[in-house]
Amino acid sequence: MTTFKPGLVHAPVTPFKRDEQIDFSTYGKLIEFHLANGAESLAVPMHAGESVSLTDEERIKLIKYAIKHVKGRVPLIAHVSQSGTGVAADLAKQAAKLGAAAIVATTPYYWTPPANMLLEHFTQIGAATKLPFFVYNSPDEMGGVKISADTVLKLIDRLDNLAGIVDASLDWQFMIEVVSTAQRKRADFQLLTGAEYMISAGATGATGMIAPMAGIAPRAVKKLWDLCAQEKYEEARPIQEAIAALRQAVKPLGVAGLKAGITLMERKGGNMRAPLENPPLAARKKLAADLNAIAALRDEPRGW
Amino acid sequence: MALVLKGVMQAPVTPLHDDFSLDLPTLEKVTDFHVRTGATGITWPYHKSESLNMTMAERKAGAEAVIRTVAKRVPVAIHVSSLAVHDTLELARHAQEKDADCVVAITPYFWDPTPQAIFDFFVRLGTSIDLPFLAYNSPGYLSGVEITSDLLARMIERLPNLIGVKEASFNSEKFLELSRLGLSMKPDFSMIAGVEYLLPSIPLGGRGSYSSAGAICPNLVVELYRSCAAAEWAKARECQYKISRLWMIFRDQYPSSLKGGMVMMGRPVGPTRPPLPTATKERQEYIRGQLEEMGIMDSEPYGW
Repeated sequence: MTTFKPGLVHAPVTPFKRDEQIDFSTYGKLIEFHLANGAESLAVPMHAGESVSLTDEERIKLIKYAIKHVKGRVPLIAHVSQSGTGVAADLAKQAAKLGAAAIVATTPYYWTPPANMLLEHFTQIGAATKLPFFVYNSPDEMGGVKISADTVLKLIDRLDNLAGIVDASLDWQFMIEVVSTAQRKRADFQLLTGAEYMISAGATGATGMIAPMAGIAPRAVKKLWDLCAQEKYEEARPIQEAIAALRQAVKPLGVAGLKAGITLMERKGGNMRAPLENPPLAARKKLAADLNAIAALRDEPRGW
Repeated sequence: MALVLKGVMQAPVTPLHDDFSLDLPTLEKVTDFHVRTGATGITWPYHKSESLNMTMAERKAGAEAVIRTVAKRVPVAIHVSSLAVHDTLELARHAQEKDADCVVAITPYFWDPTPQAIFDFFVRLGTSIDLPFLAYNSPGYLSGVEITSDLLARMIERLPNLIGVKEASFNSEKFLELSRLGLSMKPDFSMIAGVEYLLPSIPLGGRGSYSSAGAICPNLVVELYRSCAAAEWAKARECQYKISRLWMIFRDQYPSSLKGGMVMMGRPVGPTRPPLPTATKERQEYIRGQLEEMGIMDSEPYGW
């Protein structure tokens, strides 16, 4: 089993043109920006990349484009979540063929799966490739469906390539339970936090972070990451608070807020794809005012 | 109003005779045990103390016994949450009359109160006493009813005797929202984790916690706080992982299994009142096995 460590993972948005088609040339610029601003890995396309609104064919095209563009400078994690187990497993296979370094998948959309169904779903996706496989626990996004520590322990038995869990629940009870019990079975099992709350995650044993906010504020994200990597948690608190404020400002608009924030930083987040909508002017103005109020974000890079 | 709560505070369980009647002499023993083994404060009766399964007369008698036993060695807070707001107010008046140092109250049970109703409740409670008080936030148990940072800001502004929050979401985002707001308005604000999740909360501005495991392994709990406060993160993780393992045993139908475990540590406290079950002999033996595996039988005090 490889000891692939994703580290600080940037999760780029997927920019669309006015006609809702993928804007590949802007996407290339975004990837370049992430690489120049601290990404140690890329995860493509996460929910922040509107994965759910892409066709399967487009997802593969996007992963292919990203891998070609990155040219091995950092590893690329392919996000393959789907409702159907077979569809997700097939995406994983295609991503592996294209040169992805790892696979990540969350619980199946819509089906409100019980534990045994989750176990089967993840087993089949994981077994589809030999790549390091991360399961992604995100109950708030997934209608309350949680991955239990017990499911993770069973997956370790079934999958030699189960590398870790990405946690977006931010639930300390779960994070500590899963990392401590899983590492007793598999010492190099990794906990990654799926949001930029690195202090608590790092203290409890997380070794990676998926950071969509890096599209807006890569310096702050990098600073938080570096301080936490050195376990300077007290020192990291002010920047953690600034990033929390950024997340709260973006949150009411969701991915549209993230894209609008990137555009406010004089880059280009691009249009949204249906069913998500571009935010109205008033919402963008409020976001601009909220971002301006966060002093720690003033030395973030503007433009490309 | 100089009271600042910090460190690991303990909440004694409520000892019962075999006929489920209140065992006040043993309550005094448990309370004294906690003070002698490092508790920085005592609060009674939390849910862990079966607060909601007692009559008003029992709660008052117990509160008086606890206040008398602690005898000002550490601060005593009385938990006044009741189904009826009128009972809560009555218990708070009683606590003040009997010279408690603080009271604690959760957001109202059952009714899914609006933010304004939560605000009005805390204003009514806070202005009915001169004592300092803690607001108790537990969205997981109260179907999402919670103290948001906006609400907390209004409460702090209105209520000079609100000195902190007992925070039981155990969630990075929720804790940090309250902590950064509370500390920005009041530098001494006490953010206290509901049970001893100190590792993820202290670096976010937490000052301490309550405790699930203090009646089983006070040395471990004290060591967890010490290592977090000293930024000895590897040691803190070791302690936190063990305590998390215990919490996974105690959490369901709390405090049945905790009371069962206390038997194994030579500190029997009798049964648990229905509807909570009493830990069976088999359950007690299972817990003993877990305690032995963790080395707790050897490193912690046996008996009173």
